[in-house]
Amino acid sequence: MLKVFNQFIVLLCCFLMIACSAVPQLESNAIAPIVQLPDNHEDLGVMSAYTDPWEGFNRRMYYFNAKADEYVILPVVTGYQKITPDVVQRSINNFFSNLDEISTFINSLLQFKLSVAGETLARFTLNSTVGLAGLFDVATQIGFAEQNEDFGQTLGYWGVDAGPYLVLPLLGPSSLRDATGLVFDNLVFQQAVDELGLDTDEELLMSVIDGIDARASLPFRYYASGSAFEYEHLKLLYKKYREIQVAR
Amino acid sequence: MRLLSALLIIFLSACSIQQDEAALVKPVCDLSYSRYQATVTGYCQEVAADIPESVAVINKQITIKPLKDIPDVFWFNKKMKYSLIKQETTAPLIFIIAGTGASYESAKMLSLQKSFYQQGYHVISLSSPTFANFIVNSTNTTYMPGDLAHDAEDLYHVMNLVWAQVQAQDGVEASSFSITGYSLGGAHSAFIALLDEEQQAFNFEKVLLINPPVSLYNSVTILDKYFDLRANRQAAVAMFDEIIERFSYQYSMQESSTFDQGSIFSLFKNANLTEAELKLLIGASFRMSSSDMIFALDASFNTGAITYKHHVIDKFESLTHSMQRASDVTFGDYFDRAMLPRAQRQDPTTTKADLIYRYSLHAIEDYLKTSKKIYLVTNQDDIILKAGEVEYLQSIFAERGKIFPRGGHCGNIDRVSFVEHLQTIFSRGVN
Repeated sequence: MLKVFNQFIVLLCCFLMIACSAVPQLESNAIAPIVQLPDNHEDLGVMSAYTDPWEGFNRRMYYFNAKADEYVILPVVTGYQKITPDVVQRSINNFFSNLDEISTFINSLLQFKLSVAGETLARFTLNSTVGLAGLFDVATQIGFAEQNEDFGQTLGYWGVDAGPYLVLPLLGPSSLRDATGLVFDNLVFQQAVDELGLDTDEELLMSVIDGIDARASLPFRYYASGSAFEYEHLKLLYKKYREIQVAR
Repeated sequence: MRLLSALLIIFLSACSIQQDEAALVKPVCDLSYSRYQATVTGYCQEVAADIPESVAVINKQITIKPLKDIPDVFWFNKKMKYSLIKQETTAPLIFIIAGTGASYESAKMLSLQKSFYQQGYHVISLSSPTFANFIVNSTNTTYMPGDLAHDAEDLYHVMNLVWAQVQAQDGVEASSFSITGYSLGGAHSAFIALLDEEQQAFNFEKVLLINPPVSLYNSVTILDKYFDLRANRQAAVAMFDEIIERFSYQYSMQESSTFDQGSIFSLFKNANLTEAELKLLIGASFRMSSSDMIFALDASFNTGAITYKHHVIDKFESLTHSMQRASDVTFGDYFDRAMLPRAQRQDPTTTKADLIYRYSLHAIEDYLKTSKKIYLVTNQDDIILKAGEVEYLQSIFAERGKIFPRGGHCGNIDRVSFVEHLQTIFSRGVN
């Protein structure tokens, strides 16, 4: 349910995107900066490699995410970490990682990465059985490494361009292509969850725990860098990182 | 997403990656040593010191100036941030000052905090006056950061306020005070100690300079050269792309898609960066710090270097153009076009040579020579020291100075011999 709701928000945001701007509204007495930009934009290299046509929307969403993180999500995550023993936290993390293997498996097949698919299948089988429904990650210990393939990468593999940079509500940095991929991966995840035979409330609870667990395992803190250019840095990193992942 | 954070570490910090000692797969790395490598990855060829994996850090903030005076674009930086690590009972207290462009919680600060906490100190960590959060919260609107004597006044003011706050809010009781800092923070410590001789708010028991510059101007000239966009922009940009290319290739060769300490070292090993490439990484990271600093100064002082003068920046406004402009600005430019004119506004007869002298340890040489409480630790191959400066430090500090043969710039802060040396300095005379 929560995921469907998220997807709805994504669509809504797409409509809103056109409405916002990030262009400076200059006062009449404003004087242009002393330091000039290079004439040739390509001279800026990686710093101007990625355009950001939806910047107005993205910056607002980035701001919203930073605030939501500070006032809602992090307090919840901190509370979760306080009341949950480390062992339980790890098991919960393992459990959701194990469910994610299904989508990794499908996506590696879609990219003909047979060895990755094989390794992931072995991991899933082992961890789902010996690892008690994924609560324990026994596969890593015996040398099956965790892989990462999602539908965004599959689309990239098949030549789909990343498209404009997009900051998603709560989820953060993405792109048009990767956000689309996310919908597909969520459908797969949903299928897996359906197999567990939970009722609606339980499913909702599980989505919430999934979200908390995902945030808890991510050390990132908004504006911990203290840099006014954090938005730019993160955009650059995300775009570059996804390129690297797709090329892998 | 762990990948993303690992990448963040590689790209955003030219400084050490020694994040989580527990995650260390191998106690030492097998990278081939150079002073540049040690500066980038840390001196990982030496065994890490046995310091606590985590300590109970209290993140604090303090209002230094009215919040409405802080530009809106820095909405996330209202109030000055610092941290406190507290001993259970009365104990000596140490202030640590971060290096150029670094925050109170930079990787090196975390290592130092743990070391001093382990030795029984209350630890208060402050960001560098060149760090954006410090700049926008500082009451100073006259001097440019890097002006050591004035930075010291600024820091001293903050230290007094912070000390009052931790007494009131956290019940900290200190038996004595010490101060230390790495890199620029080391130079700051020395100037603060001198100021304190006069003001006597703390009467420091010990002062330790860790890898300080001798002359700010000499050090930034060296670092500026590592990332020279002016002489040959295309070459620098191409080299940067090449480095990223090499890392991504190595990543694609790696069997697992996850990152840990061990795989980051092996990425570095296999990427096999040349000396020029390592220098570029160091220079680029330094430029990123200076970009942040210049932007914060522009926003606070309305100097109009990389932002529009007389323009109030909206919090949703695009800053990309400012970042791109800042990438071109060297520290040399900052010195010539911001620091010098500011100083001349106070005193028109000031020359560049005056400032170069004033912003160096030479300016307080007599004090450093005679004060028995001041100690130095640095490395023979520290990249920010010009030829002859190590010898100069040695002559000034004599038996109070320790010079390790290796470690580059701050690469050995969390290594065993460095931490053992800290213990020898700080156990002497501390009850």
